[in-house]
Amino acid sequence: MSTPEAFDVTVVGGGSAGVAAALAAARQGARTLLIERQQLLGGMGTNAMVHTFCGLFHPDVSRGPQWLNPGIPSEIGMALMQRSGIHKADLMGRVYVLRHRPADLAQLTAELCAEERHLTVLTATEVTALAPGWTITLGDRTIHSRAVIDTTGEALLARLLGDTHWDLAASARLYRPAYVWSFHGLKDELDEPLRLRTAALIVRAVKAGALPAAALGTTLRASPAKGEVFVSTDLEAGGDRWDPTDSDQRLHLESEGRALAHAVWDFLHSSHPSFGSITPPSLPVHAGVRESARWLGDYVLTADDLIRSRRFDDEAALAGWPLEMRETARGPKFRYFDQPEPAGIPSSCLRSSSLPGMFFAGRCLSCDHEALASVRVMGTCLATGQAAGQMATAFRP
Amino acid sequence: MPADITADSVLSLILEHQIIESAEPVTASTDLFALGMDSMAMMQLLLHIEDRFGIAITPGDMTRDHFATASAMAQLLAEKRT
Ligand SMILES: Cc1cc2nc3c(=O)[nH]c(=O)nc-3n(C[C@H](O)[C@H](O)[C@H](O)COP(=O)(O)OP(=O)(O)OC[C@H]3O[C@@H](n4cnc5c(N)ncnc54)[C@H](O)[C@@H]3O)c2cc1C
Repeated sequence: MSTPEAFDVTVVGGGSAGVAAALAAARQGARTLLIERQQLLGGMGTNAMVHTFCGLFHPDVSRGPQWLNPGIPSEIGMALMQRSGIHKADLMGRVYVLRHRPADLAQLTAELCAEERHLTVLTATEVTALAPGWTITLGDRTIHSRAVIDTTGEALLARLLGDTHWDLAASARLYRPAYVWSFHGLKDELDEPLRLRTAALIVRAVKAGALPAAALGTTLRASPAKGEVFVSTDLEAGGDRWDPTDSDQRLHLESEGRALAHAVWDFLHSSHPSFGSITPPSLPVHAGVRESARWLGDYVLTADDLIRSRRFDDEAALAGWPLEMRETARGPKFRYFDQPEPAGIPSSCLRSSSLPGMFFAGRCLSCDHEALASVRVMGTCLATGQAAGQMATAFRP
Repeated sequence: MPADITADSVLSLILEHQIIESAEPVTASTDLFALGMDSMAMMQLLLHIEDRFGIAITPGDMTRDHFATASAMAQLLAEKRT
């Protein structure tokens, strides 16, 4: 076995939260390691083809789009706008969002990481074991790190440590997963009339037995690139038996999503002139999982904290996205903050005093199931990741 | 027998099936899009409308004007029934 390598900060999981954490740590001079299981950085925003950043802007839309968290979240937001040629965020009802192309996020995150001389990135690498202190096992390789950040989106490090530091909502309540794919070559603009007509077409096809009932969870969204469309279908995924940590169920989710993508594509392509010349589906690397295990840290953020825009002394980041509940595949239920004011996320949600040197951010930070409906969005994940990177850099045993 | 079409019967169908959920009171003239009704919620709504009122909605009927409020929907459905 080779000699262990030593780092100040090791970040496990290179999604929105992990990339922000690694950049923040490396920029403060910490010798930083970022470990990612997939080939591409960006997490759900690249590999699951999630194509809209939420949570980047202040919830008071009357002032126009105002960046909510300074530093890496606004840096990445602005860089994505530049790459996709978007000049202004989209006002979607009562919130601003930023559309992006997954490939742009993959390229941008890779470039930003490559610029940091204190940062080492290991992709296609998976953490398989962990011991306090911290010793991290990557197959046959061992890493020592003063601090560790779990940005796996599924509290993987907590689960490797045993049963005490994490929680998972009941299967029936977990926010449903979705399958997102894309096509090119739409001749017309994907405006509201076309989206509504398409919805009616899908309903008729389901009634006629031409599409499976699962197609009813489908939404179409225009990419920043002309003619490109993202198609998302929320899936029941076994309803009250859904377990996002079970590999058999994940495999089944992939095949259901893939089959549905082809069925919906076939149907659109053959039944409506607007879709007559679209290219066959481009598939994601994997299906999108909205909710998995969460860390239990020193404080567990609640929905009530968010709804009342509560602020904290030890604030790490700001949340501004409404609670977007997706417990069924029949569409989101939004609950807005009482006032159009951001809520604080305290740093006690990103650490546990029983595990010195362990930090967590992104969609596996310490919050309850309802609060996750807001803080899981990628803009907020960038902000909590950045804060965890700074906290881990400052940590001394 | 399909149900009677009134703004109130459409509204109660919307609330019963939780097509939209809102902290604010919803009336027959509330703009449902402003409360977050999206194309996915409308697909559910179409299914329930067809079941309850026995009326098939064509893609051409599916416009913002026809679906913005429960009373607009009731008007569309009443026209389609005659
Ligand atoms: C279908 C869907 C639609 C969504 N829509 C939106 C939206 O419109 N707007 C929005 O802002 N958010 C949206 N979200 C939420 C958002 O995408 C996620 O919550 C967010 O990406 C979480 O970021 P993260 O960095 O915490 O985790 P992830 O993006 O999940 O990244 C975690 C990373 O950790 C890696 N990893 C996991 N385990 C290991 C391991 N053992 N070793 C190494 N690496 C590991 C994974 O490969 C992954 O790259 C959506 C989510 C889904 C699933």
